[in-house]
This record gives sequence, C-alpha cells and structure tokens, in this order.
Amino acid sequence: MKDNFRQSMKWFHTWVGLIVGWILFFMFLTGTMGYFYQEITRWMEPERPFIEHNISNEQLLDTAQAYLNKHAQGIDGWDIYLPNVRDQNLRVGWRHPAEPGKKRGQYKIKVLDIATGDKVASRATDGGRLLYRMHYRLHYLSTDISYWIVGFCSMLMLLAVITGVVIHKKIFSDFFTFRAKKGLPGWLDIHNVLSVIALPFHFMITYSGLLFFLFTYMALSTNLQTNDDEYREMRKEIYPRIAHLEKANQPAEMLDVSVLYQQVKQVWPGHKLNYIEIFSANDINAQVLFVRHETDITYNPADEVMINAVTGEVIAQQAKEYTGAGMIHNGFFSLHEGQFAGPLARWIYFFTGLIGTAMIASGLILWTTKRKPQQMKKSNGPDFGYRLVEQLNIGTIVGLPIAIAMYFYANRLLPLDMVERAAWEAHVMFISWAILLIYPAFRPAAKAWPEQLTLAALVYLTLPLVNALTTDKHLANSLPQQDWNFAGFDLTFLVVGGCFAFAAYKVKVLQASKRSSKQSSKQRVQQNKPPVLAANESLLSLQQVNKEKC
Amino acid sequence: MLVLTSLCFIAMVLFCLAMTKHREQVIVHEVSILAVRFFRPLAWLLLSFTAYLSVELYGWSIGPALLFGALTIAILLLTLLLTYRAKIVPKLAIVMSLMASISIFIS
Repeated sequence: MKDNFRQSMKWFHTWVGLIVGWILFFMFLTGTMGYFYQEITRWMEPERPFIEHNISNEQLLDTAQAYLNKHAQGIDGWDIYLPNVRDQNLRVGWRHPAEPGKKRGQYKIKVLDIATGDKVASRATDGGRLLYRMHYRLHYLSTDISYWIVGFCSMLMLLAVITGVVIHKKIFSDFFTFRAKKGLPGWLDIHNVLSVIALPFHFMITYSGLLFFLFTYMALSTNLQTNDDEYREMRKEIYPRIAHLEKANQPAEMLDVSVLYQQVKQVWPGHKLNYIEIFSANDINAQVLFVRHETDITYNPADEVMINAVTGEVIAQQAKEYTGAGMIHNGFFSLHEGQFAGPLARWIYFFTGLIGTAMIASGLILWTTKRKPQQMKKSNGPDFGYRLVEQLNIGTIVGLPIAIAMYFYANRLLPLDMVERAAWEAHVMFISWAILLIYPAFRPAAKAWPEQLTLAALVYLTLPLVNALTTDKHLANSLPQQDWNFAGFDLTFLVVGGCFAFAAYKVKVLQASKRSSKQSSKQRVQQNKPPVLAANESLLSLQQVNKEKC
Repeated sequence: MLVLTSLCFIAMVLFCLAMTKHREQVIVHEVSILAVRFFRPLAWLLLSFTAYLSVELYGWSIGPALLFGALTIAILLLTLLLTYRAKIVPKLAIVMSLMASISIFIS
C-alpha cells in the first residue's frame, strides 16, 4: 500500500473503477435509456396509431370505460392511462388473477385506438421496459444474483465517486478547466470535467440505486431487529399506498368516470390528469382514484383524489404523516426514477445519464492511456491484462451502443409471427454485443476503434431508413402529424449516428496526422531514441467522442 | 427550466471571471481589480436567487433537483465554450441575462 492518504485513495479509485467499470457502463447506459422507456416502447410498437390532437379527457375516459366494461368484467382493479407527453396513446391495464402456485397474476397493458375504441394488436416486444429492467436485472441472470452483482458494483461506484473527489486536488481552481490536449492530460481533464459537472447526479443516482434493494442487501439487519409485524409496518410506512375498500361482492351501477372527473377538475383547476385507478369496479364499494402529474418528489397526497364511484362523493384522504426517514427514502426513489420530470427535465436527466456513462468510459480509457507508453516498451508486446482491458473497452464503449441499435433493428426486421419473438429481440442484442466484444481481440486497437465507430455511425444512421421501409411511422408521416414521440426517436437516431460518424472521422484524421508527424520526427532524431510511445492514436482522438457524447 | 439554466450560466460566468486564468481567456482588455472583487459575491448572490426561484417555480422538492440539472448543463456549456469559443462567452452571458429577465417578467 502507498504511504500517503491521497496516493492510496488514488490507487483504490483506479482499481475499483477498473474492476466494475464495464458493468457500470452497461448499467448507466441502459439506465439512461430507461428514462425514456415509455417512449421506446411506443416506438417499438409501430402498429399503434399516431397522436390524436384535441380530444377531451371525458371522451377518452368514456372510451376506456366502455372497453373495460366489455373486456375486463370480474377483475377488481382497472387502470386507465391517459395520453401524455411520454406516451401519446390511451392505455388501459389490469392484473389478471394469479395462476395457481404464483403470488400475483400478470399485469397487462392494452393500447386503445381512440377512433374504434378497440385494442391495437401490436407485435410481440418487451419494448423499453426490457432495457430499463436490464440495468438492475441484468437480463439472463436470476433476480437474486443480479441484485447482488448490481449492489456490489454500485457500492464500488459510490466508493469511486467519493475517492474521486478526494484525489481531485484542484476541484475548485480547475472547476472550469478543460484543456483539449492530446494524451493523458486531455483524458484526465475529460474525466474530471465529466465527473465534477454532474457530481450531485452521480452521487444521488448511485446512493439511491443502493437504496432500491435495501431489504435485500441489509436483510440481516432487518431480520434481527424486527419481527414480522414490525417489518410489515415499516414497509407500509416507506411504500405508501392509499387505502381503498375491499370488494363487497354486491353488484352496483357505477357512475361514468367522465362524470366523476368533473369534480376532480374543481379540486385541481388547470392541472393535468395523469392516470386513474378503479377499485372494485361495478361493486357497491367501487372507488375511483384520480392521479395528476407529480408535484412533489416525496409523493404529495394532494396529487390524488379518491371518489366513491357509486355515489360520486369525494372521499377525504387523511393527510399522511411521513417520518423523516420515510420522506428521505421516497425522495431518493423518485429522484432516481425522475418520474416527476417534465419533458425538458427528462432530457436533462438523459443528458446527465450520458455524462455519467461518458465519465465511466473516459475513466476506463484513462487507465489504458496511462499505461500505454510503458506497455509499448515491453519487448514481447503489451501484457495480456492490458490487451484485455483495451479489448473490453472497445467492445463495450462502442459495442454496447451498437448492440442496442441491433435490438431496435430486431424489433423492425424479425418476422412478426416468430415464436418467442420478444425474447429473440434481446438475444439479437446480446449476440451482437458478444461479437463486438470478441472482434477487437483479433484486430489492433488502432484499427478496431475507428472500425467499430464507423459501424456504430452506420447502424444508427440507417435505423430511420429501415423504420421508413418497414412501417408507416416514419419521419415523413410523423412530422406532419406532429407526433414528437415517433419523430423525436428517428431524429435522435440521426443525431447519435452523426456523433459516431464525427468521432470516426476525427479518429482517422488524428491517426493520419499522428502518423505523418511521427514520420517527420523520426527522420529528425534518427539516432538513439527507441520507438517508444507508439502512442495511442485512436484512443487519444476519442476525446472528441467524449466531448460529443455529453 | 430555461430561465434556471440561463441564470446558472450567468452565475458560472461570473465565477469564472473571478478567476484570473479564465478572465484572461475571455476578456482581452484589463478589468479593474475593484470590479473583479465583486464578481464572486455577485455570483453567489445570483446563485442563491436562482435557487430561490427554482423553489418558487417548481416547489421545494422538485425545484432544487432541477436546479442541479440546470447547473450541470450550464457548466458543461461554459466549459466547452471556454475551450473552443472563449470570446463569445461574455456576449452569450448578456443575451442570456436579457432572455432570463424577459421570461421572468412575462411569467
């Protein structure tokens, strides 16, 4: 171990970051996409109709209730999701009765066509939810194992964030400093800038991420300190739910939800209704809960209005008293998920997520950049460890974005009647990632970087084209319809593709300039200097990528 | 949100003008020492006002969350500008302050 404190922290930061860097990159990137998971799902179900402008909430509610009355009789709980910025279709959902041997039945959401009032039959896909669940459920592994792996990585991430602040000597005097230099200082600056500007986000997202599986990670503590009743009480306090009546099994005529909605309008003048839950539908105890867009990150009880669906009375809710701990817990949850965020704030979440992803990437690249000169001096080539890190860097930092694009391609191109189609979309993604991870092992790093970057640019730039060839939800239709959900998606692909293309171009230009300058300098000092520092051409120039990514 | 980001940006420009090495990047001619002394307190003042405004606009819990988001975007923009287009920073700061004050008055 090193003698002084900062040195040992530095050592710790380096190795902790390296061990879990790639998993963290995966978690950050898929989690960042998760901020748009509803939008992604809508894009991946292109059978859904375009946005319908200027339809009143009353009309939407009538359509939904008519559908539910027809198709979900006998189910206790109904949910109606109104079209909003994130998903511009009317949706209804309910939980099916549990199959024997299972705790809970499946929850299914159906998209309704407002024009016909019937459900839209869309292709089998897991949509954005798959990407977002992947960031803590790691897809192929079992739930328990994934939670522990994710927890371990987040824990180390938290340590890396804290030690990173400790070892950053000039955090204030270098606050705005970014020198676009080549090589190590450039990468160090990129890493520092990306870390410092979003430091509150990095800390918040890591810490709150750990809180999510509190009862898994700290099970021992809760088991020892509480009995079953206390445990239930505690969970009730931190996972608040509005109480509703149980079914009385006495059928009763329910008022129209659109009629009940008139009262809600008076309670929240000018506020947007978000979704509706109906408990014990068509029963004497039927109740309807109206929920507006969140106005408070700790779950404001005033965001919900409960109405007796038979008599039409507003049921006064007891203002819930949260304890300090409960409030902090809820606050961190909703900060992590960003459910409260409006469109602009959601984009900021997305960008800061990308900054986090780029921070991890730059840290990983920094590790190789720092060791490159020494490794290149070795007579029998760089060590296996060094080459492995380099390979994993290329395969993950550029490979994973390509793999995600392949997920979208699979969604558009796999045959619609394929068996286990949804599962195969994910398989395609992981197979392509595996190929891209292995590929750099057989190519020199200086070649593999620009090649994969070019590939990334190509796949992202052609996605809108494939979309146009396979569906009618392409830019030529979505822009005139002002359906920003569909249009924004294609436009984002073009921007991302453009960034990758620029990065690939930059890598090539820098490599070329490096080569010519190396040749000329070689001619000048031909005598004694060994051909060391066969520098990290492609890596160096990747600075540009990073600048762009953020 | 745009108001928050512009205000954060201006506050950050002031902070950065208070630092000699960045001031030289941004402004060619000499600035009096007295004026420089005011930059930092002014920046803190503006930042506190922005924090107050965020709470006023979005509530005590969402406001600060958005404030940090706005800060991140503002610093990123400023850092990139300092590296590549340092000269337009003062102009942009003036445009942004105009925009911010207009939108505060409108709302």
